[in-house]
Amino acid sequence: MPPLIGPVSLVAVASGPGLVSYNTLVVLGGVATVGFAAGVVGSLALLRKRPLVGDAAAHATLAGVAAAFLATGRRDLPALLGGALVAAVAALAVLVLIRRVARTRDDAATAVVIGVSFGIGLALLAGITARGIPGSGGLEQFLLGHTAALTAGDARLLAAVSLAAVAIVALGFKEAVVLCFDPQFAAATGWPVGLLDLVLVALVAVMVVVGLPAAGAVLVTALVVIPPVAARQWTDRAGPLLVTAGVIGLTAAVTGVVVTASRPGLSTGPVIVLAAALICGVSFLVAPRRGVIAQWLARVRRERRWARGDLSAWDLADADEAVPLPLPAVSHVAAVPLRGADGK
Amino acid sequence: MTLAASMPLVEFHDVTVAYGRRPVLWHVDLAIDRPCLFGVIGPNGAGKSTLLKAALGLVPVVGGYTRFFGEPLARVRGRVGYVPQRETVDWDFPVSVHDVVLMGTYGRLGWFRRPGGRERDLAHACLERVGLADLAGRQIGRLSGGQQQRVFLARALAQEADIYLFDEPMAGVDVRSQERIFAVLAELRDAGRLVIVVHHDLRTAAEWFDRVALVDMRLVAAGPTAEVLTPENLDRTYAGRAELLEELGRAVAERGRTS
Repeated sequence: MPPLIGPVSLVAVASGPGLVSYNTLVVLGGVATVGFAAGVVGSLALLRKRPLVGDAAAHATLAGVAAAFLATGRRDLPALLGGALVAAVAALAVLVLIRRVARTRDDAATAVVIGVSFGIGLALLAGITARGIPGSGGLEQFLLGHTAALTAGDARLLAAVSLAAVAIVALGFKEAVVLCFDPQFAAATGWPVGLLDLVLVALVAVMVVVGLPAAGAVLVTALVVIPPVAARQWTDRAGPLLVTAGVIGLTAAVTGVVVTASRPGLSTGPVIVLAAALICGVSFLVAPRRGVIAQWLARVRRERRWARGDLSAWDLADADEAVPLPLPAVSHVAAVPLRGADGK
Repeated sequence: MTLAASMPLVEFHDVTVAYGRRPVLWHVDLAIDRPCLFGVIGPNGAGKSTLLKAALGLVPVVGGYTRFFGEPLARVRGRVGYVPQRETVDWDFPVSVHDVVLMGTYGRLGWFRRPGGRERDLAHACLERVGLADLAGRQIGRLSGGQQQRVFLARALAQEADIYLFDEPMAGVDVRSQERIFAVLAELRDAGRLVIVVHHDLRTAAEWFDRVALVDMRLVAAGPTAEVLTPENLDRTYAGRAELLEELGRAVAERGRTS
């Protein structure tokens, strides 16, 4: 076997020598790009406190795919994804409308849109399957994602759209951060908050649509939400957050493709989500400072120092604010065992 | 014709604001014609913050308009700085102190241009003025309330504006930060800026502000502090608010001692 690098050799291992076709490599690259872009765009949605926008858009895409198939009669990916995008945008428009007209809570309106739009999609899909319309086989792969069926051309399209999304974020990064951090200040200093929000939501919708072939309508939202949540554990800066989320999304997407490449019956979406969830879980545990273990260690250390009467146990972030430290109590507590202070 | 002293720096003309069917501010007419420290004082729910937001176009007005330097805000936005209430943002947001102050320069930079050396130097200088230069790299959640408020103040300084609007900059802030913030506000005033501050504490209001407006859903009175904070005006502003009577009494007594 020739020495291959990085994920490529993983494919070789997973699928055995001789099975690594040019097509597989292009698909792998395409889906990796999608994973990266989904993490980047998803980070902004998370920072804008709207992680569920992608969920509403994602569930609606199935109806769009089915409708596009009925309209064109072919399983042509660009056409199907075009239909998915129209459905996603329509669902988000309905979401805004419900919030305005019915003055419902955000999450309730989102739940309504998710349920109804997904129901429509499933009904259309069931209808198509029941009639046995020729060429409809494999349409249900948009439910859970299936990258084995992608052509190199499809993958290039997905990669191109993803790169465009990343480029837009890179261009408007400054604007995006001020919008997400302090919308009132942004509006007061002249930024068109409504327009910026619209672009952000549109980017999320686009990423959900291009993530569809890989992760499917039900799970694609995980590609937009989980990597940013995991990445937040590792960094306190917005720029690194976007990049980290992108890398995590890329890793999850590549894992999905590699694991399912040699197993024709396995959907890609669940593997991607599990990989992302694993990274997220590990991040929660071991991340420095924000991780569970780090926080536990810090608490233990603080309590020990406190018991010794060591004032550096306090986070002296407020030291210049003349926090009245309970000095007499320190020597008193130091004289008793750590847990014994509160009685028994 | 020049923009002579007769042109008010800020003019509220018949501003009326309602949230849904609930009116918040009625027919506010107010002109401020010279640089000063200007306090907007009134009880909770009196519409003080709403007055600032209406001036900045952050809430829709039912009627009336606001002018800055005789112009609509859109034409002079770069000359108007704004500091929202501290609670309006998520302090767990992944940005550093320096990043937030840098945002003050974004309006001037315009679309897609990244802050460069000049902006970074300015942000650093603004942080020094509020005494936070040491904490520039820290995530904003790891600050005390007073420090967070000073970050917002530094961001406003970085806007390099001529008129500043502050929404409750002293709320939930320890005494030392309050003094520091007030010192910076006074510096701005001394440098010829107009500083408008929404404030709820009558006692400090009497000693800090050159001029005040008493607001309780309408403009009760406005002018030099000593002329406006009279027992009659305070009574008209805070009437029927038993929980504030004690504070009111203290403020009036204190004013009586100092004048």
